[in-house]
Amino acid sequence: MGDIKPPSGAAGAPAAGQREYFSDDPRDIGWVKQNVPCQTACPAGTNVPVYIREIIERQFGRSYETNREANVLPGVLGRICSRPCESQCRHGWPGNGEPVAICHLKRVAADMKDAGHRITERLYSPTGKRVAIVGAGPAGVAAAHDLSLLGHDVVIFEREERAGGMLRYGIPEFRLPRDTLDIELHNALRLGVQVRTGAEIGNGAGQIPMTKLEKEFDAVLLATGCMAASPLPLAGEWEKRELRGLEGVEYGLDFLVQMHRGVKKVVGKRVAVVGAGFTALDCARVAARLGAQEVTIHIRTAEEYIPVTQEEIFEAKREGVRIKGLRTPVGLTVEGNRLTGIEFVQNRLGGWRAGGRRQAIPIEGSEFHEPCDTLIVAIGQQTVNDFLGTKLELDRWGNVRVGEDGMTSHKGIFAAGDYVNGASTVIQAVGHGRKVAKRIDAWLMGRERRRQVVRIVPVEQPLRERAFDFIPRQHMPVAPLGERMKDGAHEVELGLDEKLAFEEAKRCYLCNLRYQIDVDRCIFCRACIEVAPRNCIKLVRGVEVNDDGAYGKLLETKEWNQVGAIWIDNNECIRCGQCFKACPVQCISISRCELTEVEV
Amino acid sequence: MANAKNARHHVVIGSGVAGSQAAETLREREPEARVTILTLSSLLFYNRYDLPKVFRGHRDWREFLAFPAEYYKDHRIVVRRCSRVAGVDGPRRTIALEHKEEIRFDTLLVASGGRGYIPEELAEFRPLMHPFASYTEAVSAAAVVPERGHVIMLGGDMIGLDLARTLVDTRHRVTLVAGPQTFWPHEVTDDERPGLIAALEKMGVEVIESADAGGIASIEQGARGLSARRVLFKDRTELYGDAVMPFFGLSPSVEFMLGSGTDIERGLLVNPALRTTGEGIWAAGDVCQIWSDAEKRYRFYYGWKNVRAMGDLAARNIAGGDEPWVPAQDEKLHIGSDGKIQSPFWEYE
Repeated sequence: MGDIKPPSGAAGAPAAGQREYFSDDPRDIGWVKQNVPCQTACPAGTNVPVYIREIIERQFGRSYETNREANVLPGVLGRICSRPCESQCRHGWPGNGEPVAICHLKRVAADMKDAGHRITERLYSPTGKRVAIVGAGPAGVAAAHDLSLLGHDVVIFEREERAGGMLRYGIPEFRLPRDTLDIELHNALRLGVQVRTGAEIGNGAGQIPMTKLEKEFDAVLLATGCMAASPLPLAGEWEKRELRGLEGVEYGLDFLVQMHRGVKKVVGKRVAVVGAGFTALDCARVAARLGAQEVTIHIRTAEEYIPVTQEEIFEAKREGVRIKGLRTPVGLTVEGNRLTGIEFVQNRLGGWRAGGRRQAIPIEGSEFHEPCDTLIVAIGQQTVNDFLGTKLELDRWGNVRVGEDGMTSHKGIFAAGDYVNGASTVIQAVGHGRKVAKRIDAWLMGRERRRQVVRIVPVEQPLRERAFDFIPRQHMPVAPLGERMKDGAHEVELGLDEKLAFEEAKRCYLCNLRYQIDVDRCIFCRACIEVAPRNCIKLVRGVEVNDDGAYGKLLETKEWNQVGAIWIDNNECIRCGQCFKACPVQCISISRCELTEVEV
Repeated sequence: MANAKNARHHVVIGSGVAGSQAAETLREREPEARVTILTLSSLLFYNRYDLPKVFRGHRDWREFLAFPAEYYKDHRIVVRRCSRVAGVDGPRRTIALEHKEEIRFDTLLVASGGRGYIPEELAEFRPLMHPFASYTEAVSAAAVVPERGHVIMLGGDMIGLDLARTLVDTRHRVTLVAGPQTFWPHEVTDDERPGLIAALEKMGVEVIESADAGGIASIEQGARGLSARRVLFKDRTELYGDAVMPFFGLSPSVEFMLGSGTDIERGLLVNPALRTTGEGIWAAGDVCQIWSDAEKRYRFYYGWKNVRAMGDLAARNIAGGDEPWVPAQDEKLHIGSDGKIQSPFWEYE
């Protein structure tokens, strides 16, 4: 805990007549980070309230551009994002209802912008520096885009025939149509980025050695992701047996990659998928489309704790996929070389693991058998480092170790995305790719060229109505079962139409609006407290200041002789605007606070 | 007698068989305590097993109540009807109701039961089906089926088959679209199934095996002049009826417990003493999966006698006991000497 300060003229309060200004006051930066939970939760830092507000104003193109400032693939992420923002959304906090469908609204911006929409890019003059990026997945593409904007010449080396990485080879088309992916990749890479596909880095015949990249480029960024499936740990006689080669056993990642390379995949009638992430769910849904009669996902814990969205689970179940919990595979049963079933052990739930996942504790003596003719193992992915000619330091999980500046143990070689962090999500990869691109730029140029500030814009009146708080979450229309199961490319989620989108957008609290009471003008009439729908306006004697300079806990009091101010607790505030309308002396101001970057 | 100032507040979520039995036992065991039942229902406790009576012309809600209102007054049990629980904060021991009210508890018994499960692939046809899990639903279903009308029963769990007995008895036509849940919650082997299906047919129920028709493709509103509903199968065969009623077993009502700090798989996971992993929180009835030492797994126990016994046991343990769960009824389904299906699930008082 830092100092305690009496409430006074707060940071960020716009001076009379001031239109817009930028602040690097830590209290303002801290305010945004504390009060706009969706943006803080987004690994790419997407400015969610602003793009949702632009949807309300029906400025879909502008909303798309607001997204693109943080994430170059809004149409893609608007379909397949893991949505860390929604789990933090203030509308989903206890007592407030369901979170805003932030992801679906991102897709609205992408789908409803005008044809021929003008892309906005902030281009820097050429630097003459050359950067090689290995891997055209989400991290590599995001980094390539940002580095090319910053004036560097970028070349991506991609071993597959087409760019996109896991987006193209790991995610089925019924979740991510390839035309959407192609357009956004093209937009991201068309500012002079060269993409050399079919170019594999390594030391074998026909491969390009890393030493060549080091020689020809000023910096190299490794963004090859996690492209090796994690092996299934089994017990007893199966502990050390290699499962590849067993008839009826597939690794989920290989299954999807091969299918997207054009290999015809076949599954049995009774398919078991082991795993709890998006890959497991995708494999199960693909298996259902390939004609399996019974598809079951077996998970170690329970549905509540698996890291996929409830909508995905529901749609998978509609397609006939079943989920069975509290079980860990310990062995297989085979006839000759052909799989006939899986031996499981029953689990109970344990404590929490680092990273917010539940532990599963096997129960001794509880083994049981389930028959199946296809097993798809989708329990995770790992990095592959054998293409490196240069020895780099690895962490204990086999991922490349990087410093604060994003650089590996080898000067000039950087790494980003899943290749550094292990298997994560697309939005994490995009966010990390951008972050490392900024660090590469700083290293190449010898200085930071952009820094984070808060843009503060006075707002004349509340932008929301109280009635908006009672709009229920709008549900994504989906393709009927009969249509979607015909082939593997029919998109399941159809997108919100304009009416649904508008209703959903109105639900956003617009947490970037800061309501403040001018203590010097307040007459302590309590009118604002009377109309507040929540316990959001408080009598305080002081405010704690955190170590980073941001405001912390409010020190409330009920004793009038100790009251220093009536203070709006922006943590509780749902931006309904009732206090602003009730104030008889107009001492409440509203300002929009957004994180942005300016030139150094 | 007024509650003592420091008496504990026992809150029970759910006013069904388990919840009501628990409230009664809690009152007996702790005369000073405050006992509150929160229920979504607008009715006081009624026996769900009596609902088929609506097809015999019994539609007055008062006939279904297990106890008169005075019973709750006499036992000082507060029943908060039409109360939807939005969430439970285990560490703070508070319950948030949907209308934003917070209720503090010392102990909580979750006995919210289960709602009729509709497989996700049929979820989009929900508006065209008539479920039968509550008094209101039962009355709505009875209202749309004319005398000697035709009911298409999907799935056909033991709740549905119990209704089928009444429907056949009251000269309605019943077509059962059978599937894996037909004898839910009984686990029936492949060898036993044909005999049980034959017994249903002998009872007067027409049976179609859903799998033989490739499964259900859609449920539609019947065209003008035809029956009210059409069930279309994937092999393009079809079936017309006055109502389509889904019976696919029960799905535990646990949504409001997400984030409460208690472990959930399908239902609330409880130890043999019916205690959840949340401090001060127990569960009983169709909502809980009980750890079975013998079977080394968590499992559900169904049936009126089991559910009542669970409510009673949970209350005794809340009041200081530590007794383990022992099933109160046999779970075996069989065909009696008269050729009729006999299920302990149908035995109730």
